[in-house]
Amino acid sequence: MKLKLHTQPEVPTEAECITPAIINSLKVKEIEKLKIYHGNREVNLADFFSVSNNKATSLEVEGDIHQIKYLGANMADGEMFIEGDVGQHLGSAMSGGFIKVNGSTGDWIAPEMSGGRIHIAGNSGHCVACAYRGASKGVSGGEIIIEGNVKNELGHGMANATIVVGGKCGDFTGVNMNSGTILTFGEMGIRTGAGMKRGTIICKDNIEILPTFSYDCLYSPVYLKLLLKYLKDNTQIKIDKEFTEGSFHRWSGDAIEMNRGELLVFSA
Amino acid sequence: MKINNTEIVDTYAEAFSMWSAKVIITAENDYWAEGAARAMTGMATSVIGCKCEAGIDMKLTPEDTPDGRPGYSILLFTMDKESLGKRLIERIGQCVMTCPTTACFSGFNTDDTINVGGALRYFGDGHQIGKKINNERYWRIPVFDGEFIIQESFGVKESVGGGNFYILGNNVSECLDACYDAVKVMKRVENVIMPFPKGVVRSGSKVGSKYKALIASTNHIYCPTIKGVVKDSAVPENVNVCYEIVVDGADEKAVAKAMSVGMQAAAKDGVTQITAGNFGGKLGKYKFFLKDLVK
Repeated sequence: MKLKLHTQPEVPTEAECITPAIINSLKVKEIEKLKIYHGNREVNLADFFSVSNNKATSLEVEGDIHQIKYLGANMADGEMFIEGDVGQHLGSAMSGGFIKVNGSTGDWIAPEMSGGRIHIAGNSGHCVACAYRGASKGVSGGEIIIEGNVKNELGHGMANATIVVGGKCGDFTGVNMNSGTILTFGEMGIRTGAGMKRGTIICKDNIEILPTFSYDCLYSPVYLKLLLKYLKDNTQIKIDKEFTEGSFHRWSGDAIEMNRGELLVFSA
Repeated sequence: MKINNTEIVDTYAEAFSMWSAKVIITAENDYWAEGAARAMTGMATSVIGCKCEAGIDMKLTPEDTPDGRPGYSILLFTMDKESLGKRLIERIGQCVMTCPTTACFSGFNTDDTINVGGALRYFGDGHQIGKKINNERYWRIPVFDGEFIIQESFGVKESVGGGNFYILGNNVSECLDACYDAVKVMKRVENVIMPFPKGVVRSGSKVGSKYKALIASTNHIYCPTIKGVVKDSAVPENVNVCYEIVVDGADEKAVAKAMSVGMQAAAKDGVTQITAGNFGGKLGKYKFFLKDLVK
């Protein structure tokens, strides 16, 4: 099925029903009558999208939908391809499947994600894969690849997931991280890994190391070679040979927590 | 049937079911990858006395390995799935993890798996770190030169062991030349190993023995030195030497292909006859008819 935006919403709109499982199980007329929330008003999906059956097994969404939130919410399987910018809460509570965005996204991407893959060709906002306020754990699995930049609190309280950022990161990347991996290629903000319990943050750019991290050694992690080869084969992120074959400074922390996390900082 | 002047006997090689795993070993360079591969496949010629059969399948380029480093693929065979897990844990733990700079991955992508890295991770004494990439879990175990990476689960499959053919000739030199040529082309076939020294065995065995404690004994009918006293000797009159090439493979097709190219390479001057070992269908369920393989 294919959804194409024909009218730009005036206010943020919530469209949890836009998932491959829901859309591809219905006929065009039924899809057009699906309910979405334009602000606090319930409207039909057809008020904003034209629906066509392109016979594909995946779901395609086209248009500048930066005002539309919760696409792919609770998604467990299937594939969704979005051509254009998309709004907040993309892939909320997603447990499986694949979302590809050929554009940028808003804030709070993939809250409570437990599986599946999200691939964003552009930039993302604040609090990507972040725990909701008051929650001790954020995402608990899955893979998020952002080829562009992200803002603050990437992977706040994350567990088990893998997040890759091709560009810059804001402040507090991996704050209160429980486990998992964050790999960043661009400039980093301040307080990276603050309060992390376990997990790995790998930075190509030099970072400010908090005083509660202790230095271990300079080495070439084989795990990183494995991860970089996977990214090279599956993304457009430019990975140079110098980075793949280079050495990394390893820091352990955060000592204010379990001290089992690691920062791997590229030694240029 | 003849190829050149070599007679291809109208018989079949009898092979049996085994379980196998393919192990990918990588390292900083070929020197260390090969070191680990050779150590892991050492003393693994036959399940009769080694508990497993193992050998190097292929040398791999960095493009072919999961971590982009040079490596080797190894095939390891046992008689059942349970013992396959034990052998993998023993041999990877003692021969691969110990070797500088190595990492270890599963080469088979099968639904049937064995927990290998998930058991070896305890060597990390609590300092091990689990990581997931593309839904596969890996373990990072801290060691003296950094970390040993191993995949948690290894794919395993029911496979074929004991494919074979015999090369019979007039003298050792010409027979070994034929063996050398045969093994050389068989090594290019993917998913097979020839587990004996340089791929050749001179002490071919039969099932059972006159001594009750033994499960196997010399296949006396192919021993030239006793052909005068053994009533059922299979050694022709003008033959003084016999060698066997044993081949284990991930599947029937791979074994058949290896036997086919091997026999055609071995059929040359000095080789009187090529035949195969079988026990009337009592040993295993696979039959490889020589004439079908060299058509």
